[in-house]
Amino acid sequence: MALRIPLHLFLLIVPIYANLEGDALYALRRAVNDPENVLQSWDPTLVDPCTWFHVTCDAQNRVTRLDLGNAKLSGKLVPELGKLERLQYLELYMNKLMGPIPAEVGRLRSLVSLDLYNNNLTGSIPPSLSNLSNLKFLRLNGNRLSGRIPRELTKLGNLKILDVSNNDLCGTIPTSGSFSKLTEESFMNNSRLEGPELMGFVKYDVGGC
Amino acid sequence: MTTTILQLSHLILSFTILVASLNHPGLVDATPDDDSYWLLRIKSEFIDPLGALDTWLQETSMCTWNGITCGDDKKHIISLNLSNSGLNGAISQHFSKLTFLETLDLSLNSLSGPIPPDIGNLGNLKELRLFSNSINGTVPPQIALLRQLEVLRIGDNLLTGEALQNIGALSELRVLGLAYCNFNGSIPKEIGNLKKLMFLDLQQNSFDGEIPEEISGCSELRSFAASNNRFERRIPTTIGLLSSLQILNLANNSLSGAIPPELSHLSNLKYLNLQGNKLGGEIPVELNGLDQLEILDLSRNNLSGNISLLNSNLKNLEVLALSENLFTTIPPNLCLKNSNLHHLFLADNNISGGFPEHILNCSSLHQLDLSGNSISGALPPSLDSLQSLTDLLLNNNSFTGEIPPQIGNMTNLNSLFLFGNMITGGIPLEIGKLQQLTTLYLYDNQMSGPIPRQLTNCSSLADLDFFGNRFSGSIPPTIGKLKNLVNLLLRQNELSGNIPSSLGYCRKLQRLVLADNMLSGSIPPTFGFLSELFLITLYNNSLSGPIPESLHHLKNLSIVNFSHNRLSGSIAPFSGSNSLTKLDLTNNSFSESIPTTLSTNLIRLRLAHNSLTGGIPLHFSQLKQLQLLDLSFNNLTGELDTDLSSLTSLEHFLLSNNRLSGPIPTWLGRITELGELDLSSNSFTANIPPEIGNCSKLLKLSLRSNMLSGPIPPEIGNLYLLNVLNLQRNNLSGGIPPTIQQCRKLYELRLSENSLSGPIPLEIGTLGELQVVLDLSFNQLSDKIPSSLGNLMKLERLNLSSNKLEGEIPPSLGKLSSLHRLNLSNNHLRGQLLSNFAGFPSNSFLNNDGLCGPPLISCSELSLKARKRLPESQIVGIIVAIVFTSTLICLSLMYTMARIWWNWRKVAISCSEKGGFEQKKEGEDWVYGEEIAKSSDHHFWNSNSMALVPSQSKQVSDSDTARIFQFKWSSAAAKK
Repeated sequence: MALRIPLHLFLLIVPIYANLEGDALYALRRAVNDPENVLQSWDPTLVDPCTWFHVTCDAQNRVTRLDLGNAKLSGKLVPELGKLERLQYLELYMNKLMGPIPAEVGRLRSLVSLDLYNNNLTGSIPPSLSNLSNLKFLRLNGNRLSGRIPRELTKLGNLKILDVSNNDLCGTIPTSGSFSKLTEESFMNNSRLEGPELMGFVKYDVGGC
Repeated sequence: MTTTILQLSHLILSFTILVASLNHPGLVDATPDDDSYWLLRIKSEFIDPLGALDTWLQETSMCTWNGITCGDDKKHIISLNLSNSGLNGAISQHFSKLTFLETLDLSLNSLSGPIPPDIGNLGNLKELRLFSNSINGTVPPQIALLRQLEVLRIGDNLLTGEALQNIGALSELRVLGLAYCNFNGSIPKEIGNLKKLMFLDLQQNSFDGEIPEEISGCSELRSFAASNNRFERRIPTTIGLLSSLQILNLANNSLSGAIPPELSHLSNLKYLNLQGNKLGGEIPVELNGLDQLEILDLSRNNLSGNISLLNSNLKNLEVLALSENLFTTIPPNLCLKNSNLHHLFLADNNISGGFPEHILNCSSLHQLDLSGNSISGALPPSLDSLQSLTDLLLNNNSFTGEIPPQIGNMTNLNSLFLFGNMITGGIPLEIGKLQQLTTLYLYDNQMSGPIPRQLTNCSSLADLDFFGNRFSGSIPPTIGKLKNLVNLLLRQNELSGNIPSSLGYCRKLQRLVLADNMLSGSIPPTFGFLSELFLITLYNNSLSGPIPESLHHLKNLSIVNFSHNRLSGSIAPFSGSNSLTKLDLTNNSFSESIPTTLSTNLIRLRLAHNSLTGGIPLHFSQLKQLQLLDLSFNNLTGELDTDLSSLTSLEHFLLSNNRLSGPIPTWLGRITELGELDLSSNSFTANIPPEIGNCSKLLKLSLRSNMLSGPIPPEIGNLYLLNVLNLQRNNLSGGIPPTIQQCRKLYELRLSENSLSGPIPLEIGTLGELQVVLDLSFNQLSDKIPSSLGNLMKLERLNLSSNKLEGEIPPSLGKLSSLHRLNLSNNHLRGQLLSNFAGFPSNSFLNNDGLCGPPLISCSELSLKARKRLPESQIVGIIVAIVFTSTLICLSLMYTMARIWWNWRKVAISCSEKGGFEQKKEGEDWVYGEEIAKSSDHHFWNSNSMALVPSQSKQVSDSDTARIFQFKWSSAAAKK
C-alpha cells in the first residue's frame, strides 16, 4: 500500500504526448530555413509525424529517427527536440545550422547517434549530453563549438565514437571513463585545446579557457 | 433620408436642365478662359461607370454640374467634390488650369496614375483630398507651392517616396493624412513649422529615423498617429509639450529607451498606444497624472518591474493592456471600488505568486487576461466578485487546486480559458448556471471525475475543449441539449461507455473529437443528422460494430479518423461525402471490398491492418489529389492495374502484406512525387522495372519478400535521395549494379536472400552514409571482399555471411570503428584475423576455409590442422624423418600432439553443426557480436585447451577470477 502512493503520483504527472512529437518537430521546421523544401510534407495537423518524410517511427508511432543530413538547412536547433523520447538517431549533419546545441538534447534518453557534424554550431557542448546513457556515436566535428569538453561526458558508458575535431574547444581533454579508449584524432584541430588532462598534477579547470 | 435627397436633387437637376435649355437654345461657347472648357476635357479623361459626370454637358451651365461650386464670376469654380463617385482613370493634367480652385476632393474613387506635378499651379487650394484611390508614383515637389493648403489627405494609395521632405513649407496645414501608403524617409525638423497642425496621420508606411524633438512646434496637435512604421530610437521628451494632444499612437515601431515621464504633461490625452516597440525600463509613475486617459496600451515591449499604475488616479481608464512584457507584479491597489476599468490585459508577463486577489476589486472588469504567466496556487472562491466579467483568460499558468463552485455565479461569462494549468478535481456542478457561456477551454490540465450532466444546461456553449485531462465516466446522455455546440473536443481522457446517441442532435457540430479515450459500443446512427460535421476523430477507442449507413448523408465530412478501434463491416458509408479529404481507418476489422465511389478529393487514404478483400478499385484512378495510399496488411488480391497510373500526386504508396500479384508495373516510374514505395510481402513476380529509376524523389523503397527475379536494374542508381533500399528475399540474380554508388544517402541497404552473384562492387564503399545495416548475406557473391568497405565509417552492422567470398579479409575492415555487429561466416575466407576483430564473437567468422587468430583458433593451431590434411604417406614420411633425427624427444612430443588433435576434432564437428543451424533464421536474426555473450549452449568452447579459449571467454574467466578474489577478500573481511 505504501508503494502505491508514489506510483499514483507518478501517473498524475505522466506527460501527454498526444502530438507532442509532431509539435516538437514542427517547432524545428519553423526555426529553420529550408531552401529545398525537404520539410514540405511536415503537416502539423496530422495525428502524428510518422508519415512525414525524413521521420521514422516505431510500431507505437513514436519517432525513432530524424534524417536530415545534407539537406541545406540553416537556422537554429530548437529545445523542443528534447521531447522526442524514443529518438535513436538524430542525423542533422552537413547543414548550415547555427546557434547552440540545446541542453534539452540531453533528454533524449534513447539516443544512439547524435550526428551534428559539419554545421556552424556555436556555444559549448552541453554537459547534459552525459545523460544520454545509450549514446554510441557522438559526432560534433566541423562546427564552431567553444568552451571545455564537459568532463561529465566520460560517464557515457556506451560511447564508441566521439568526434569533436575541427571546433574551437579549449581546456584539457578528459581521459577517464569512456574517454580512455579514444585517440587524439577525436580532438584534432581545436587550436586552444591543451591536450590530455594531467590527473593529479594540474586542476582540471586551469588554463585560459 | 438619402433617397429623399436623391429624389430632390434629381428634381432640381431636371429643373435646371430645363431652365438652361430655355435660356441657351444654342451651344455654350466654352473658351480656355472658362473653367468649363477644362472641366469637359477632364471629364473626357475620366472613366465614369456610374455616370457621376453625366450632368457635365456643354449645353448647360457649368455651375449646375454635379460636384461643382462656382465662384462669383460664374466662369471659374472654387470647389470640386467628386468623392466616392466610382471614377476610374488618371487625374487629368488639366486640373492645373482650375486656378481658382480652393477645394479639390477626388477621394474614395479608383483613380490611378500619378498626382500631376502641375497641381502646384493651384495656388488658391486650401483642401486637397485624394485619399483612398490607387494613385501611384511619388508626391510631386510642386505640392510645396500650395502655400494656402490647410488640408492634405492623400493616404490609402500606392504612393511611394519621401512625402515629408518639403512639408515645412505648408505652414497653414491643419490636417495632414499620409497613412496606408508606401512612403519612406524620416520626419524633417521643419515639421515644427506647422504651427496650426491638428491632425497628423502617418500610420502604415515605411517612415524611419527618429521622431524629431521639433514636433513640439506643432502646438495645436490633437492627434498624432504614426503606428506601423520603422521609427526608432527614443520617444522625444518634447512630445510632452503638445498640451492639446488627445491621441498619441506610436504602436508597432522600433522605438527604444524608456517611456518619457514628460508624457504625463499631456493632460488632455485620452488614448496612448505604444505597443509593439522595444521600450524598456519601468512604467514612469508620473503617468498616473494622465487623468483623462481612457485607453493605455503598452503591450509587446520590454517593460519590466512593478506596474506602478494606480486606477485611483487614472479614473477614466477603461482599457489597460500590458501583455507581452516582463512585468513581475501587479500593484495591490490597481483598482478602487468605483473603477472604470473594463479591460485588463496582462498576458505573457513574468507574474508569479498566487492569484492577485486585489484584482477582484476591479469589479467593473469585463475582460481579464492573465494568461501566460507563472501564477500558481488555487483559483480564489471570491472570483465571483467580478460580476461583470464576460471573458476570463487564466490559461498557461501554474494554477492548481479545483475550479471553485462560485464560478457558477459569474453569470455574464462568455469565455472561460483555463487550459494549460495543473488544475485538478472535477467540473463544479454549478457551471450549469452559466447561460451565456460560449467557450469553455479546460484542456491540458489534470482534471478528473465525470463530465457533469449540468454542463449540458449551458445552452450557449459553442466550443468545448477538454483535451488532455483525466475525465472519466461516460459522455452525459443529455449532451444533445447543447444545440449551439460547434466544436466538441474531448480527446485524450478516460471516458468510457457508449457514445450517447443524443450527440446526433447537436446539429451545428462541425468538429467532433473523441479520440484517445476508452469509449465502447457502436457509433450511433443519429450521427447521420450532423450535416455540418467537417471533422470527426474517434481513433484509439474500443468502438465496435459497423459504420452506420446514415453517415452516408454527411456531405460536408472532410476529415475522418476512426483508426485503432474494433469497427467492422463495410466502409461504404464513407462514400457519401465528396468533401472527404482524409480518411484513416487503420487497424480495425473492416471487411468486404473497398467501395468504388470514394471521394475524388481524397488526399490521404489509410486502410491498413484490416481484412479488406478484392482488388484495388479502378476508380482510384480518379483520385488525382491522393498523396498517401496505405492499404498494407489486408487481403487484397489482383494486379496493379494500368488505370492506377493516373495517381500522379502519390507520395506514399504502401501495399505491403497483401496477396497482390503480377509484375511490378512500369508506370510507377511516372509517379515522380513518390517518396515511399512499399510493396513488400506480396506475390509480385517478374523483373524490377528499370523505370523505377525515374522516381527520383524516392526515400524508401522496399520490395522485400516477393518472387521477383532477374537482375537489379542499374537504373536504381538514379534514386539519388534514397535512404532505405530493401530487396531482401526474392529470386534476384546477376551482379549488384555498381551504379548503386550514386545512392549516396543510403543508410540501410538489404539485398540478402537472393541469388546475386559476382563480386561485391567496390563502389559500395563510397556509400559513406550507410549506417543501420549493409546486408548482402545468403547470396552467391564471390571473389574478395573489397577493401573499400573499410570506408563505411558510420556502418553499424555488416552481414556478408553465406556467400562464396574468398581470400583474406581486407585489413581496412578493421577500421570500421562504428561497427558493432559483423557476420562473415559461411564463406571461403582465409588468413589471419586482425587484432581489431578479436572483440567480435567467433560466430562472426565461423565456417570459412582458413580464418585464424582471435576470436578463432590461433594460426599456429590452424597450421597444424593444415598439416593434418596432408596425405597419410607424407605424414608417415615426416614422422619417420623426425624419428630419424631425434628419437627420444620426438616420442614425448608426439604424445602431446595426439592429445591436442583429439580435442580439436571434437570442436570442429560441433562447430559445423552449430553454424548450420544458427545461420538460417529470419532476416534480422543473423549472428551479431553483442548478443552472443548472452546466448548459451556454446559447449564447443568448453575445451580444456587454452589455445581454443576466445578472447571474450577469457574476459569471463578474468572476471571469474575477480569474483573469486572478491569472494576471498570479502570472506577475509568477514573473518576480521
